Amino acid sequence: MNLAVDSLIGLGLVALAWQAISGRSLFRGIVMFVVFGLTMALAWARMGAPDLALAEAAIGAGVTGALMLVALRRLVQLHPDQPAEPKRARSRLALPIALLAASLVAVIGLGAVSVDREPGRAGVAVMDNLAETGLSNPITGVLLVFRNLDTLLEVAVLLAAFLAALAVFRDQEQAPAPPRGDLPLVGALLAIIVPLTILVSVHLLLAGSHEPGGAFQAGAVLAAGGVLLILAGRLQPASGMPLATALPLVLGLLVFSVIGLAMMLTGAPLLALPGLWAVYLIEAAMMISIALTLVLLFAGASGLRRERP
Amino acid sequence: MSMGDTSLVEWIATSLLVLGALFYLAGTVGLLRFPDVHCRLHALTKADNLGLLLVCAGLGLLACDWQVAALLGTIWLLGLLAATVSAHLIARHACRDHSATSSRTGSA
Repeated sequence: MNLAVDSLIGLGLVALAWQAISGRSLFRGIVMFVVFGLTMALAWARMGAPDLALAEAAIGAGVTGALMLVALRRLVQLHPDQPAEPKRARSRLALPIALLAASLVAVIGLGAVSVDREPGRAGVAVMDNLAETGLSNPITGVLLVFRNLDTLLEVAVLLAAFLAALAVFRDQEQAPAPPRGDLPLVGALLAIIVPLTILVSVHLLLAGSHEPGGAFQAGAVLAAGGVLLILAGRLQPASGMPLATALPLVLGLLVFSVIGLAMMLTGAPLLALPGLWAVYLIEAAMMISIALTLVLLFAGASGLRRERP
Repeated sequence: MSMGDTSLVEWIATSLLVLGALFYLAGTVGLLRFPDVHCRLHALTKADNLGLLLVCAGLGLLACDWQVAALLGTIWLLGLLAATVSAHLIARHACRDHSATSSRTGSA
């Protein structure tokens, strides 16, 4: 029974991936990509990696899907006369490249399977020293304590990606705001869903210390609330970047670096954290930065302004 | 709890799950086969919401835990909310866009 479910998920993933890239229509491809992300989250959950499942569902399927849809809308706006589905001739190199890539994947996969899997020393070391950190979720332990330079750089990469996108936003005029009608149902939905996204993201943030969750998942859920507000027209893209936007945008990077560098003054190694409170503080700051970055990417603007209904 | 009780609860839960899956199947068939946007939305929102309720009820029975049951109930309510509002928005858009509605609009 378990094997049947796993095979179904595995085959479904391959079929969905093919549907997403086979390119009959861009919109269809995006929808298939989102379904692929949700199925992938299911696969991670089946493999006992709920943290990855949460991240895949929230970021891989949710936020990335929304970003792709907004990109498609801009594409159509930029070239309204151009058919959305250009007929592309398939390159003669496509088949050889696909075969080479497939054989590469097969060789690496076979190699990975044939290796005798001793539990790596790093994992054992993490589990042995986890108690000292005060965290009981080893994922958060690795992300925030044992390998936190990687996490810091990930936040920096996200900021760099946003700055690069900002350069592109500058080049084109602001997309006109979507027409706002009298939609009582949407108001009611927002009144229920937006507070719930805040509740769930704070829960994910706090839960991250002892069960699946953490800043990235919490930030993505919070961003989903912001995306809803933009879609409903309650938040509008604005030009210019006030300090009230710029500060939360770099808050995660700032708090992480300041705490990590301050500890060096006391003689500790780089990015050694003084305690559990620092982990929570950094995660909260990272959640705010991640959420704001994703929302601004979706809005395609450097700032936001409120719009009274 | 005796063996007999457990298996009875499991039987009820399994029937609820199967029944829920059938409603999902019916909703999906309606989505694929019905002639226009409004009929399809009708099939989706009615059948899938009932299917979700039955699946949640079955899972809640299997879990035998009030906390899990309350969470599943919350999930059902949220699903209901999302389905209602999104169906409303899609139907509204379809009403404006005449090309989406065929002349064979059924009594949805």
